Amino acid sequence: MQALITNIQRFSLNDGPGIRTTVFFQGCNMHCTWCHNPETISMKPVLMHYSNKCIGCGTCFRLSDPPNAVRLEGGRHVIDRKILKNAEDLAENCTASALVMSSKPYTVEEVMAEVRQDKLYYDLSDGGVTVSGGEASLHSAFIEELADACHAEGIRIACETNMALPYHRIEPMLKKMDLIMCDLKHVDSPTHKKYTGVDNQIIFNNIGRSSLLGIPMIVRTPLIPGATNDITNLKGVAEFVSKLRNIKYYELLNYNPLGSSKRMAMDAEDPFGDCRPYSNKDLEEIRKQLQDAGVELKIS
Amino acid sequence: MSEIRFINEFDPNRTFSYDERIALLRRRKVQQTEEKAKAGGADEDDYGLIVQNVFDYKLKPNHPNGSIYGYKAWTENYCSILQQHPIYVDALDAFSAKGFLFLERLRPKTKKWNPDYAYPELQAIFDKYQVISGIDNCHHFTPDLQIGMDLGWGGILRKLKEQKELHDETHREFYDSEIEVVENIMAFIRRAADEIEACSREEKNKQLSENLRIMADIDRKIAENPPETFREAIQWSNWFSMLSRTYNRGSAGGQLEDLFNPFYERDIKAGRLTDDEAIFYLACMFLQDSRYWQLGGPDENDNDKTCHLSYLALYAADKLNIATNLTIRVHDKLDPVFFRESVELLFKNKQGWPRYSNDKALTEGFMRCGYSKELARKRVAAGCHWMCMPGMEYTMNDTVKVNIAMVFSVAYKDMMDNAGSITPSSEVLWDYFSKHLKIAVDATGKGIIHHLTYQTKSQPELILNLFQHGLIEKGENITDGGANYYNMCVDGAGLAVAADSFAACEQRIDIEHKLTYAELTRHMDADFNDEGGEYTRQMMLHSERYGGGDTIGDRWAVRISKLWTSLVRDLVRQHSDNPKHVNFIPGFFSWSNTILLGSILGATPNGRRKGEPINHGANPNGGFRKDGAVTSMCNSIAAIQPGYGNTAPVQLEVDPQIANDPEGVDKMCAMVMGIMKSGNTLLNINIIDAKKILEAHKDPYKYPDLVVRVTGFTAFFAMLSEKFRELVVDRVRAVNGDACEE
Repeated sequence: MQALITNIQRFSLNDGPGIRTTVFFQGCNMHCTWCHNPETISMKPVLMHYSNKCIGCGTCFRLSDPPNAVRLEGGRHVIDRKILKNAEDLAENCTASALVMSSKPYTVEEVMAEVRQDKLYYDLSDGGVTVSGGEASLHSAFIEELADACHAEGIRIACETNMALPYHRIEPMLKKMDLIMCDLKHVDSPTHKKYTGVDNQIIFNNIGRSSLLGIPMIVRTPLIPGATNDITNLKGVAEFVSKLRNIKYYELLNYNPLGSSKRMAMDAEDPFGDCRPYSNKDLEEIRKQLQDAGVELKIS
Repeated sequence: MSEIRFINEFDPNRTFSYDERIALLRRRKVQQTEEKAKAGGADEDDYGLIVQNVFDYKLKPNHPNGSIYGYKAWTENYCSILQQHPIYVDALDAFSAKGFLFLERLRPKTKKWNPDYAYPELQAIFDKYQVISGIDNCHHFTPDLQIGMDLGWGGILRKLKEQKELHDETHREFYDSEIEVVENIMAFIRRAADEIEACSREEKNKQLSENLRIMADIDRKIAENPPETFREAIQWSNWFSMLSRTYNRGSAGGQLEDLFNPFYERDIKAGRLTDDEAIFYLACMFLQDSRYWQLGGPDENDNDKTCHLSYLALYAADKLNIATNLTIRVHDKLDPVFFRESVELLFKNKQGWPRYSNDKALTEGFMRCGYSKELARKRVAAGCHWMCMPGMEYTMNDTVKVNIAMVFSVAYKDMMDNAGSITPSSEVLWDYFSKHLKIAVDATGKGIIHHLTYQTKSQPELILNLFQHGLIEKGENITDGGANYYNMCVDGAGLAVAADSFAACEQRIDIEHKLTYAELTRHMDADFNDEGGEYTRQMMLHSERYGGGDTIGDRWAVRISKLWTSLVRDLVRQHSDNPKHVNFIPGFFSWSNTILLGSILGATPNGRRKGEPINHGANPNGGFRKDGAVTSMCNSIAAIQPGYGNTAPVQLEVDPQIANDPEGVDKMCAMVMGIMKSGNTLLNINIIDAKKILEAHKDPYKYPDLVVRVTGFTAFFAMLSEKFRELVVDRVRAVNGDACEE
């Protein structure tokens, strides 16, 4: 069995407790406009173009199929992604890594070969592996196998999921997790759908059901300026979370601007390009306003 | 240029708390550092050296080439310096003892080795392979200050005189020189006491005047007698440090608890010392000189040495918050609270201290050389990357380096010169590399023996000799048989360049057939500036690198390490008939020679251009992995440890944001412990805000108090040359992955 994986990030400190290795999967059933991993949304590998790495060798022009799919206009590379047929060839032959494919297929054993190298650090820090994305649960069969492989070697595994697939599709995977981290981005259904493309009702239901599995859970909301950050929304999520079982805490994730450079590499629009992470002062203000929410709060 | 007398600076009636005095002393230190930086800076340790313009010493050579050689000339010049050296006085400080110069550096740079003992045949090999032979290097071993604290200078003098009477004429020069040196030291400290007392009378502030009076009393006492109190013990060790540095830059601390805790406990019990005073004294000691001190670690019975004084040392360094070379020896029974507090301070102050050594790997490794656990445990952190048994061994630590990258380059050229008769491949290249590495290592071994045989004729160790067990009784300079053990350090540099070059050849040429060796050679000869050169360079640069985690580069690094280790260890066999029973211990370290060793190295197959620096110590090259994963890098370094008790340090740069809450500190504690438990020997760590370091690189004076751990030593960033700053900045970029791109 193989799955498309965009990145295996070792010494990951922000995707769950302890020192972790985070496995990012390709493909997502939501398309959040602020996503900081926009290359993972497509179900297929995406050609990324990092112009700052280009050495101007011209190999991509020579190999482009059809010939005009990659061309120079006004001193800039222009990639016509709609007609380009051989993106993988171009990436393969770009020695400077200015052109790279966003993901490649891995077997479970190939992932384990990377993951097991840091077992000592997981053991010392109560860390482990985190599957993320994209949407990890789109690869639930692969992840179930990966979870078995991790557990066989004494490695804990956690998932980051949007909980937006039918419950029967994600339950087997969730049951194999040692920790479930899931997002609830907005309590208001129309707003949720506007920014993510998905109604939040299924997410409410799935989070509710998952909380009965007896597995520790963390519910999170990314702080996106103008989209999720209003206090009414955050209080609403916090109130919902406070009634659940097995919750470790409710976590607010500060805005991550990493997506901007990636969007540029995909020649994609960046509606949140002007946004910046919240200052510590802003975050403290939010913390104050949520202090009576009835749930432990963590801001990362 | 700094002043050297600081009296009558304050209102006569002002009183100072210890914290105020530390803050004022720190401010002065930062100011002096800025002056040093503006005077040209230095790519090295701070040494506590004061740059001033009131005293200049002109060397009195005893050789037509303008240099000094042998007992007599070193003795005369050193004593002459002591007779003229002005006394630095700071009424705020608890201690006197600041030095202005190093005698060894007054010699002409290219005339350090006595020309009567030249080694042209070896030098030809050293030049070919870029071997830094260590010949003429001095002081890179550790004295046992306990000897001095037990005897005092007067006791040392008496012992020298007694032993002189017991020895024949062949030892006369040794004893006469050492006696003259010690007599001048005692006179110098007495003069210091007199001048400080005069300053005390001049000082109008009552509290500071009293401080100077006590300082003078202490100096007068310990000019002859052993120290009896905590303050006297530190003052004694400060004098040792200054006097030793003034001779030949040599200095070291040792296990801080072993040296000072008996004084501390005695004073506390007698009610003549408080913890606040103890912290102040320790802070003043750290201010005086950036000597290496070890904290914690196990005793011979595996029990932790951490005690209350260990904490006070951390708190003193915290209050002072400048370049402080503290090493914590990590072991299974290390006080967990102490360890955690040390990690918190590491991230709080972001000054590169403390660093961490791994007792298990160091002890077990040294025991493989045939030493007992008890002796192995005595090997304390004492230098950039090295450990030493105080007062027991001669080591040449951190002075001997073979540029493995240059050996690779010679081997590659040799292979291509024979390409008509052989088919080049990474395996054939390995055979050539093995042959040339053996030649380089064997010559290095001979160089060390040459140094041991003739070093006394160049530069006897007149200060450090006095603090060796049994040396005064033997009446011989340490290189002539005065040491108990000879454990010679032989370090490899450029490991990553060689490993990545092998990997790039194997992957791109042997496996993928993307190009031929002839094509690669053509591109390298043109420094990758020919047609298609940059395309090829990028391809080689993005091969599987050392540090990536079970990559082709990692496998080559392990293979090179094993070969290196076996060749260095074979030197023991080759020189087994030497009466000094010389042991040779392999390690990997470049110190800050990365620029020098890279500067005359041509382009290499890993995509490195001609003249670019080689990799730092045992670290991988920058860009070793897209995510710059610390764990991956540290696992790779753990895998190449030679395993005989010397180190191949991890040099790590970490962003301060990752430990800005208790959970982050927990993770960093786990990280440090993981790096140790994975088999690494030493962790030199910088906590660096990537943005701040980039700003400071552009404008060093923007953050004059920014301290970084350059290699094993810490230094003020502003003191470093642009090239050295760039080295630190490159390492920060490497572990920040793509996130650090400007």
